[in-house]
Amino acid sequence: MHLPAAARWTIWLASLGVLCGFAWTRLDVQHPINTNILSLLPGERESPVIAAATERSRDAFARQLLVLVSGEDTLQTRSAALAAQQALLAAGLHMDDSGRELGRLLNTYQTHHFALLNAAQTARLDKDGENAFATDVAVSMASPATMVNVFESDPGGYLNRFISELPRPYPDFLPDGPYLTAVRDHQRYYLVNMELRGSAFAEQGATLAAHAVRDAEAAVHKVCAGCKFQATGASLFTNAARDDAQHEIQWLTIVSTLLIMALIAFVFRSLAPHVLAALQLVASILAASAAVIACFGSIQILTLVFGTTLLGIAIDYAFLYFAEYWFGDSAPQSVMRVVRPGLFMGLLTGVVAFAFLLLAGFPALNQIAVFSVAGLLEAGLVVVLIFPVTLTQPSHVAVHPAVVWPQRFIKLACRPNRWRYLLPALALLLAIPGWLRLHTSDDVRDLQHFPQQLTQSDQQIRNTLGQIPPPGYFLIEASDLEQALGREETLFARLRQTLPDATLLGLSRFLPSVMQQRASLSAWKRIFASPPALDRAFTHLGLPVELATRIESEWRAAPHQPLSAQSLFDAAPDLKTFVIPAGSNVALLASVNSRADINPVALQQAAAAVSGVSFVAPLTRITDTFHRIRVRASWLVIIGYLLISALLVWRYGRREALRMLYPPLLALGVTLGALGWLNVPVNIFVVVALILILGLGRDYTVFLREGGARLQSSALAVTLSALTTLCSFGLLALSQIPALHAFGLATLIGILASYLSAPLSLPPTDGVLE
Amino acid sequence: MKYTRILTGAWLLCAAFAVYAAGNIPSLPTGFDSSFVQTRTLPGFNLPLVSRGTLHIDNTHGFRWEITSPYHYVFVMNGDNAQEQLPDGTIRHLNPEQTPWLAAVEHIFVSALAGDRTDLQQYFVVIVTQLPKGQRILLTPKPGPMANAINNILVTESAPGHPQRLIIKENSGGSMDIRFGPESRTASGS
Repeated sequence: MHLPAAARWTIWLASLGVLCGFAWTRLDVQHPINTNILSLLPGERESPVIAAATERSRDAFARQLLVLVSGEDTLQTRSAALAAQQALLAAGLHMDDSGRELGRLLNTYQTHHFALLNAAQTARLDKDGENAFATDVAVSMASPATMVNVFESDPGGYLNRFISELPRPYPDFLPDGPYLTAVRDHQRYYLVNMELRGSAFAEQGATLAAHAVRDAEAAVHKVCAGCKFQATGASLFTNAARDDAQHEIQWLTIVSTLLIMALIAFVFRSLAPHVLAALQLVASILAASAAVIACFGSIQILTLVFGTTLLGIAIDYAFLYFAEYWFGDSAPQSVMRVVRPGLFMGLLTGVVAFAFLLLAGFPALNQIAVFSVAGLLEAGLVVVLIFPVTLTQPSHVAVHPAVVWPQRFIKLACRPNRWRYLLPALALLLAIPGWLRLHTSDDVRDLQHFPQQLTQSDQQIRNTLGQIPPPGYFLIEASDLEQALGREETLFARLRQTLPDATLLGLSRFLPSVMQQRASLSAWKRIFASPPALDRAFTHLGLPVELATRIESEWRAAPHQPLSAQSLFDAAPDLKTFVIPAGSNVALLASVNSRADINPVALQQAAAAVSGVSFVAPLTRITDTFHRIRVRASWLVIIGYLLISALLVWRYGRREALRMLYPPLLALGVTLGALGWLNVPVNIFVVVALILILGLGRDYTVFLREGGARLQSSALAVTLSALTTLCSFGLLALSQIPALHAFGLATLIGILASYLSAPLSLPPTDGVLE
Repeated sequence: MKYTRILTGAWLLCAAFAVYAAGNIPSLPTGFDSSFVQTRTLPGFNLPLVSRGTLHIDNTHGFRWEITSPYHYVFVMNGDNAQEQLPDGTIRHLNPEQTPWLAAVEHIFVSALAGDRTDLQQYFVVIVTQLPKGQRILLTPKPGPMANAINNILVTESAPGHPQRLIIKENSGGSMDIRFGPESRTASGS
């Protein structure tokens, strides 16, 4: 391509500009980066109700910050809890401010109390009529359990019982002013329950929570030196995870960048490779991101993470060019012609391999495919268009031992002797037991790393509170609210039988179904249908007849309509949390809490037994998503590799192609064996590492095959590619974060094996090609 | 979650005294065994409701509240177990967690008998007036959910640790007045 420099720059900048401009028009400005992992699941898009319910459930859990202050002395501990609360409020957290809402709610219940009998109470009144009612009135007057009449009018104490039976957030803790408190092992515990208004997963929210907790701990110890302070909440975990990740990424990035720069400087002894490699990488990432946004409107966080593997492959093309330009036999104007076969073949096979992921049907894999294909093409475009017009003067760097050594290694490895066959066979033999020990893990919890102290605190607080987070939630779908409430009541009735100690949370606990409310009103109607009979029942128990008359007049004045959802929501808007938008239908969110872990199978079975009810376990769904992505990606990589094999057969013939395919597969086998030996599970990050290993391994064989052992530039390019990959991704093996550690370890072993086995792609004739 | 605030708030109102539940109740140095007359006044209802019965508390058998007139009713609570016998003879088991007043009542009596008012001072403004025999203790709830339901509680002793009268005045205008009989006596603690 004989284009002037200006034309090349124009074409390159214009193509990149058009792509970025088009992406800008398609960008979802509100959510440019999508962090919802569940949107990776294809089915999730078809069920916005589940997505909305999951988000609501997650937000409610994530915004909560629990602080537990404990000590031996009650008064001192209470003062310390007060100090903690004040510090948390001062730091910007929020506390229960539902007093007015509560008052409205209780008034609403009081107005409709005749409609709020439960099924057992209704049945009792239906069966024994006025005698049962008179007995209940007598008991409510006599029992110490209803010694104080909380409500002005509550004949029989039914409303008191309705309120008392509302689910309690922490069953073992009892109220004390603004706190909940309990005694455990001679220690007084005070719970301070705070809320974060912003997102717990955002940097601002997580930092605010962490600072607030630090201030609160200092305030507690200032008031009560002997008191114990514990805190937990998703925001604290987010903050710790972010701090850890930032710290690791910072030092890993600095170390790897310095190593790579030192390597490039040592080999090429020039600034130009740094500048051009940086230009190529920035352009690749920009084009890749723009292509994804142009296609999907936003970019998945997982795509960004996985897309970084692109950098490892894209820089290979730059090294191929640099090696030939600086140390090859070609004149600057001929460098492109010499490297073009290797560059194009590497590019073609890379694009084909990643394009195959488009067939996966998973949004995440589709994005990774688009990201990688666009990034690779851009990297190639920069090499083809820009490098030839920037590296125009002959290089004056003399060949030094570091340049010659890679070629010597290739030649040595290509000598026809038995070690050429024995060593790979031995490596594979050693790998076989590792394969047998290999296991997989798609549990997202295994990918994270949190400080032990934080995890222990969380465990202790949950145990002390007697509340273990449920494994998921129930989604009750129906054509209208009444049907949904009825289904929820049926579900809860089943759960009470199978999980008697569990606390059931759902709208039906606050709003009985209209059917139940009508039954309640009917029972009362029958009671008051015969005033003389009611009077006799009261008289029989020694209760004044005037009391019966008064209750009867209250009944006549009361609304004989069921309490509506709208009235309830008007009184307590927070209860709308239970209702999920579901188009023309209605969906309710319900949950179950317990003192111990609940077997999700029992919850799934309970849900399956009631029409329209499903049990959704978000963590399991994420795990399933990762599993499906991992399995499908693995198959697509295999199929893609077969397609590349066909390309290599077309280009190099069957025999040569087979020889070129063998080293990457050998590296893959060795890597998997080593992971098995090291007991590192195969997760989605490892699969991405394997894609990288296959991609780079294939590039090495193509570059060597095109250049053969006769070209020191090919050997140097392959060596530099391997070394830089080891310096960047291989260093991640030192990470404490399991996901990064697994990725880094797999890459380290795989790239090492790929590099060492790359000479096997050349014939055993001192690397001289026929 | 927002609804937990509602739950906590609603329950706080009903369980104003529940802070005195299990684990917080002091041991009794002696028991308590007495007859009583309970007079209940409902808001807006002039006719007081009067009932008579007996109260027995000790560390072994727990709390037994028996109404003998105008009908027969028995309430028994010991630790986590609570049950009541209705006027028609039916036995009904109660969940103490959902009847927070149980623990409250038990605690008020036991605290008074044990002479331990430290806990009470956390939740009430406590005014103690010395009487020729014993004390008169006025408990006014500190601001909070309890204050929404209760105006004050007045305990009068016939002798130190021997309550003679308990009056609970509700904000609704109702009240509860329990007078313990002159035959009130202490029994063995266990």
